[in-house]
Amino acid sequence: MRISLFGRLFMGLSAVMLMLPILVVAASALNGGRSMLFPPQDPTLTRFSEFFISEPIWRTALGNSVIVALSSAAIAVLFAWPAAYFLWKRATGLSKAIAGLMALPFAVPPIVFGVGLGFMWSFLGGLGSLWAGILSHGALFAALPLVTISIGLQSIDRAHLDAAATMGATEGVTFRTIILPQTIPYTISGFFFAMVLSFNEFIVMFFVSSSSYATVTLQIFNSLRNGFTPTMAVGAITFIFVSVAAFSLVARYGDLPRLMGADQSRN
Amino acid sequence: MSLSTAEDLPTPAPIVVREPSLWFKLGLVALLALLCLVPFLFVLTISFGHKIEGAGWAFGFEFSHYKRFFLGATWPETFQSLYIQRLGYSLFFAAIGAVIAVALAFPFTYFLTRMSRRAQTVWLVVLLSSLSLSEVFIVMGWDILLSARSGLPALLDGIGFTDLMKDLGWFQWFRDVGLASPRAFKFKTSGFATVLCMAYLVWPYAVILLYPALSRLDPALVEAARTMGARPGQVVRTVVLPSVRLPLFGSTLLLFVFLLGTYVTISVFADPSQHTLAVSIYDSVRGSTLNAPFGAAQSVILLITAGLFLIAGQKLSKAGGTA
Repeated sequence: MRISLFGRLFMGLSAVMLMLPILVVAASALNGGRSMLFPPQDPTLTRFSEFFISEPIWRTALGNSVIVALSSAAIAVLFAWPAAYFLWKRATGLSKAIAGLMALPFAVPPIVFGVGLGFMWSFLGGLGSLWAGILSHGALFAALPLVTISIGLQSIDRAHLDAAATMGATEGVTFRTIILPQTIPYTISGFFFAMVLSFNEFIVMFFVSSSSYATVTLQIFNSLRNGFTPTMAVGAITFIFVSVAAFSLVARYGDLPRLMGADQSRN
Repeated sequence: MSLSTAEDLPTPAPIVVREPSLWFKLGLVALLALLCLVPFLFVLTISFGHKIEGAGWAFGFEFSHYKRFFLGATWPETFQSLYIQRLGYSLFFAAIGAVIAVALAFPFTYFLTRMSRRAQTVWLVVLLSSLSLSEVFIVMGWDILLSARSGLPALLDGIGFTDLMKDLGWFQWFRDVGLASPRAFKFKTSGFATVLCMAYLVWPYAVILLYPALSRLDPALVEAARTMGARPGQVVRTVVLPSVRLPLFGSTLLLFVFLLGTYVTISVFADPSQHTLAVSIYDSVRGSTLNAPFGAAQSVILLITAGLFLIAGQKLSKAGGTA
């Protein structure tokens, strides 16, 4: 179907609005001085080497961000897989309770969940340790792989399962030969969703880290009192790059419109 | 359809009846309850706790923190509504931000779903990347765009808009609504910048939330209306809008609840007199005032507010769905 002139104009304007702050941040990273000016003054690439190599604060923060994002996404998938599988096999009260628990942190303002996790970890003695942060993000983002894996399980043709059962396959064999291969793209998508969001998350990590370590988003917020600097803009570019790369991979190997709930029958 | 009929068929009784997964399930429930539910119970418990001067808090059962929220710390001698005001600003900013985001996302999503599958995929990658972008980066971007030295005020100055407004005598109006200093435009801090940034923050979410409903909209409906001579605007008003009324309402509500907890945007762009509950929760728990039980009480109130809106929304949409 053709899109009207107004439609194209509206989409174009939206694209400009969407890109504007991102482009401005990216350009500001080139500033030679210490302040964020646009257009950049005395353009240089020094900020990139500062962020990735010479300034230990940013290097450590980036390292923490990567560790938390990868491990918490893995944990989120580990939580989500059995939950999605139980729900799909037979939606009992127990499996519904599991799914409901996973959805809970997602349905409330994140600052409240962050405050609560802060209290809990200080009570249990995990406050300020990296593993507590990883578990917290794992719990916060488990809902994402739960959704993508559920979509994947629903897309399995029941005829395949019936055929396998008729030919005498046990549950384990069916799982290995039919269910697992068909849901791998959805599992990976869920992993990427959780990873990217964990990478960018701020408020929950703020309460859980209790200033004893910093991820990149925390470090940026901590430095905010002295104003934004071009080095932080390099962080922003890195994060945008990681997000685009992760979601492009999801789009390349999975069906992004379907994951986002588009109608199957139309192409 | 095929799924439900397959489930309705009588399934042959399994030969081996074993339930090894029950313990596993219970373990998973326990673990998830610890990570997803217990934090909220801590917030609830501590909100009744007792503040220890300079040390932290102890378990207890007192309503002083709730009293302080609704009536002020010194009630009944004096009455203070500072924290109710904060809650009011939370609701105010979140509502405007959510409505603007959904209003702008609706036409965009409608056009998006009319594009080719390939173009949709490219757009979805862009939208998801923007959606997951940390609030601190978005605030950073708008901070530069609205800053006096190199942002919109400088641009307005450069193209002569500031002088034009001064010559026309309209500049005073901008000063009155808090968007200008005596000499130039100034957007930090202002309600305008806050709402702009909040709407920007959730706009990609709004598109993603509306996307399933609009993409499942039968194109034949639109075509039929067009064939019968309805203008595009009429089609949107009489065919498209009514059929996605519930998703529109639902996404506005979800984004509203999400925005209730915005912290970075408010702390950077909103005037201190218009700071929201999220900022004062932060101040109580980790910031300047350090009063964990009071912070917890404020969190509970924010949580209850969010819950009430979600429940009311569900009731309304059920009523709307059957009507």
